[in-house]
Amino acid sequence: MIGRGSNRYSIATIVMQIAIALAITGCSATDHPMTTLSPKSDLAQWIQSLYIDVTVWDAIILAIVVCAFILAVFVFSSRVGEAAPASTASSDLGLEIAWTLGPTLVLVMISVPTVRTIFRSQPAVAPAGALEIKVAAHQWWWEFDYPDGAKTGNELHIPANRPIRLLLASADIIHSFWVPQLGGKRDVVPGQINELTFVATVPGMYPGQCAEFCGLSHANMRFRVFVDSPDDFAKWDRAQLAGPAAIPATDLLALNGANVFANSPCTTCHMIQGISKGYIGPDLTHFGSRTTLAAGVLKNTPENVAKWIVNPQGTKPGANMPALLLPGPKMNALVAYLEGLK
Amino acid sequence: MAAQPKTLPADQPSYLEGGGILGWLTTIDHKRVAVMYLVSALFFMALGGFEAMAIRVQLWRPDNHALSAATYNAFFTMHGTTMIFLVVMPLLLGFFGNFLIPLQIGARDVAFPRLNAASFWLALVAGILLHLGWIRGGLPDAGWFGYANLTERYFTPGLAIDWWVIGLLVSGASTVLTGLNFLTTIIAMRAPGMTYMRMPMFMWSLMVTSILILIAFPALTIGLIFLLFDRFFGTHFYVASAGATPILWQHLFWLFGHPEVYIMALPAFGIISEVIPTFSRKPLFGYPMMAYSICLIAFLSYGVWGHHMFATGMGPVADSAFAITSMLIAIPTGVKIFSWIATVWGGSLRMTTAFYFALGMLIEFTVGGLSGIMHASAPIDLQQTDSYFVVAHFHYVLFGGVMFTIMSAFYYWWPKITGRMLDERLGKWHFWLTVVGFNLTFFPMHFLGMWGMPRRTYTYGADMGWMRLNQLETIGAFILGIAFLFFYFNLFKSVASREQAPADPWDGRSLEWSTPSPPPAYNFATIPQIRGRDAWWILKYGHAGSRGVAAYMSGQAPSQPQPSQPASVEDIHMPAPSIFPLVLSLGVGMMGLGLIIDWYRIILIGAAVAVLSIVGMGFEYADFGEESHDPEHAPSSGGVDVRKIGMWSFIGSECVFFASLISTFIVYKSRSVSGPGPQILNIPLTSFSTFILLMSSLLMVLALAATQRGDKRWERIWLGGVIAFGLIFLGGQVYEFTSFYHEGMGLTTNLFSQSFFVLVGFHGAHVAIGVLWLSVLLAAAMTGKLGQSRALSVELAGLYWHFVDVVWIIIFTLVYLMQAVPGA
Repeated sequence: MIGRGSNRYSIATIVMQIAIALAITGCSATDHPMTTLSPKSDLAQWIQSLYIDVTVWDAIILAIVVCAFILAVFVFSSRVGEAAPASTASSDLGLEIAWTLGPTLVLVMISVPTVRTIFRSQPAVAPAGALEIKVAAHQWWWEFDYPDGAKTGNELHIPANRPIRLLLASADIIHSFWVPQLGGKRDVVPGQINELTFVATVPGMYPGQCAEFCGLSHANMRFRVFVDSPDDFAKWDRAQLAGPAAIPATDLLALNGANVFANSPCTTCHMIQGISKGYIGPDLTHFGSRTTLAAGVLKNTPENVAKWIVNPQGTKPGANMPALLLPGPKMNALVAYLEGLK
Repeated sequence: MAAQPKTLPADQPSYLEGGGILGWLTTIDHKRVAVMYLVSALFFMALGGFEAMAIRVQLWRPDNHALSAATYNAFFTMHGTTMIFLVVMPLLLGFFGNFLIPLQIGARDVAFPRLNAASFWLALVAGILLHLGWIRGGLPDAGWFGYANLTERYFTPGLAIDWWVIGLLVSGASTVLTGLNFLTTIIAMRAPGMTYMRMPMFMWSLMVTSILILIAFPALTIGLIFLLFDRFFGTHFYVASAGATPILWQHLFWLFGHPEVYIMALPAFGIISEVIPTFSRKPLFGYPMMAYSICLIAFLSYGVWGHHMFATGMGPVADSAFAITSMLIAIPTGVKIFSWIATVWGGSLRMTTAFYFALGMLIEFTVGGLSGIMHASAPIDLQQTDSYFVVAHFHYVLFGGVMFTIMSAFYYWWPKITGRMLDERLGKWHFWLTVVGFNLTFFPMHFLGMWGMPRRTYTYGADMGWMRLNQLETIGAFILGIAFLFFYFNLFKSVASREQAPADPWDGRSLEWSTPSPPPAYNFATIPQIRGRDAWWILKYGHAGSRGVAAYMSGQAPSQPQPSQPASVEDIHMPAPSIFPLVLSLGVGMMGLGLIIDWYRIILIGAAVAVLSIVGMGFEYADFGEESHDPEHAPSSGGVDVRKIGMWSFIGSECVFFASLISTFIVYKSRSVSGPGPQILNIPLTSFSTFILLMSSLLMVLALAATQRGDKRWERIWLGGVIAFGLIFLGGQVYEFTSFYHEGMGLTTNLFSQSFFVLVGFHGAHVAIGVLWLSVLLAAAMTGKLGQSRALSVELAGLYWHFVDVVWIIIFTLVYLMQAVPGA
């Protein structure tokens, strides 16, 4: 894209583009995992190219304004008391036409690729072979439903190099789906299904976050997208379709924990296939296979799971999940059981 | 210094003197009203600044707990709401606009001084209502643009959003009244010879801003009314499960919200266009282009609201259209930047603090404008919207562009307003601390946004790499805070000092500098005759700018024109003070308070107080109307009475009000998920009442004709006829509504019923107000007080009445007749 777009420009702008591209890709995705400047999908790449184009034009305009400003204030003017104003001209038709037409031309240069990118990034129908995934946004977590019946919460797995079409629906209020490295935002609006279409090109883990203010714990509505190689994705998908992992008969703690879970209020809201049918909170069938909990806020470690169960409000103010105060042994058993749900 | 410090002659007391506390509470002098706006805005600016500092403290490090999530959300909501509605607009319009409009156009006051005072008191009441959550129910916490359906009672119970809705409604009413007043004043009350193309550029910007206010705020009012009905009366205007869409709020809000950006930016552009020529000692470069570009920006600003909604899924066609219109705004804005630089070019510069801030604004605002071009490109915006990049952008526009300008205006006009100079040395400190603090706070936000930090998040993870820049920003914010301490101290020191400021300390160009500092209550002893642009400069130096400057440079004192020597001050009649604007606002405040705390007796008392004070104002006005020198009744520079211009402005604003209601009805009428639809409408009955209403307009024409020819008998008969027909129409409506209720269609039944009842009900309320108004006129006619000389009173009521009838024709066609046509 950059190459094709820049044929129109002079050598100077190409050099500037390269310099800027170097400068911004220098901001590495390892230091800033939510950077918008390290595109990992076709959509993000288109936006990046457009962004570089506009930045170059902006830089040129800013340079012109600053130069004119410096000349006007420090060179081509005097200080009061030194001399009379050198000019009392109050208009100049040529100049005024120039600074109307100049910016107009720049805007034409910007608007053409803008409109092209708008249409290219919002295809009316799903591309052939696209994987359509339903995304439901809740206050404050994300639910992902796959066409084959797989279901997960807050961690989306997608195959690389295959078109992905996300169908975004809200369970309550307006949210916004945003994974900066994979592309721009798309709002999730009650009463309508919005779409986001892209092809992820580089396997990896990309954090995302709700980007439309959605109440008390808006800041805690995070999630992760895992772009897997096609093989890894198929493997993951098979595991998700299977029921919960069997508990080894030797793992007494986890067996005890299964008992605790089945008799706890957890079952009202959370589903574990074959065990409970709740649907208000995230599906826990494969909870142990996730890297985070509480919508991407905590790392999935036994300590964090216990911390979350004892005091969800401490991590996520306003969360619907009630605190569950269990005696130590029971809590340990429950945590062991949940962590075993690979 | 060009002009020597003058002392005030003893016979010209300044507007600040006399009256005591009561004098201020009852004042209708535009300059005193301006000072009251100043005091309230300075208070709210400190409050909003405190909220900003608290936000920056919370973001100092990841997973910080300095503020709770709830407090943080309330603080960013109130920071935005306060700075926009209670600081920037009151300072630009209420303070500088109010003070300077009459002084710059050569008038003694604004067109409607009592309304002006009412605007201030309403604004203050709005500010108090917005903050009553401190006492009960909590501060509003849904963001300054309060997106539905988060603001529905189901998702945000409690009183916080209620305070916000009512506060903004009152604030909106105050602003619309100000817009109406300013527009009328600038159109009608310019001094002889001041044509539009001779007005100071600040007046151009305020005139266009007033038009924007009149056509933008009704959209917000309608959005808030729907929200109020949803929260208090159980309708579902923004509830998806009822078939509605929360996106309606976004359309209404941004239809107001984007023009609102220019309601704040245009006056700033105007001020910069005053400050730069003065301190460059050159006329403004490209005056006609500057005026046209203001108009063009205002026009375009009404067609770009969708660029706030690129992420909502409007589709590629709408996205492209809004992207291109948004980019177009850059063209007139660029013209302004280049023209300002060209004004400085070749000038003889006086480097004052006011000029520093103006020059600073040129650069900071350009940065904000350029990031704005990025947002106009929809795909780029999808990465940047709702991130810290956008926070950086609008602070470069609103702080770098507007707040720098406000600071410039303070240093520039403070001597005129208070009669005291601001300290230049403190001013330079203030400037440089502001530049450093501002850029340190907001420039890194561009990078945070590009690194993916979403706005409105009270906390962030340590693994995101956002901490360093956040800490830099917090340091910057504290430097900015210190800059504001310098500013407040400078104001305090200046007011406490005894040194008298000269009348014309900057060798100014426009008329306000011809008056003493501070000016007398009546501004100009004799209304000046205007001979060209830069009216005061011409009076001082003659027409040819360069010759005038040569005379100035050779040390020759400017000729001392004396436009402000009163022939006899006793001849100047200023309108008498009035307590009613304050009482009216208290009544309105009681209504809002009563609604929120669910105490209906307070609503009724408040309504009674408000209505009685409007009637009281009407009587004051009428009594005063007999005075021949009454500035309120002076025919305008165009020969049209100010009240007529005011009424037309009001009607223009009402058009947008009804257009928003009607569009909502059209969108929603067939989206109900259950219950009755348009087939329930009784077309024969409504055709009859439509006929009656149209006939009442005919009678209204006859009533006016009778008054104009002094025919007292027929005047009473025709007026009585209009009232009777209006009552028949209202009776028909009551019957219609009642029968709908019996057929099972109530307000909250479905989308059709609620948009029908709200649209037709608001029209009915307009008819009822018209009937009341005409009844007062009829009472005056019966007691013989409505003579030929008062024909204008009947004409104004007639204008209103005809407008309400025209609206009904549209409603009748779109709501009723279209249903009778098969397939419509």
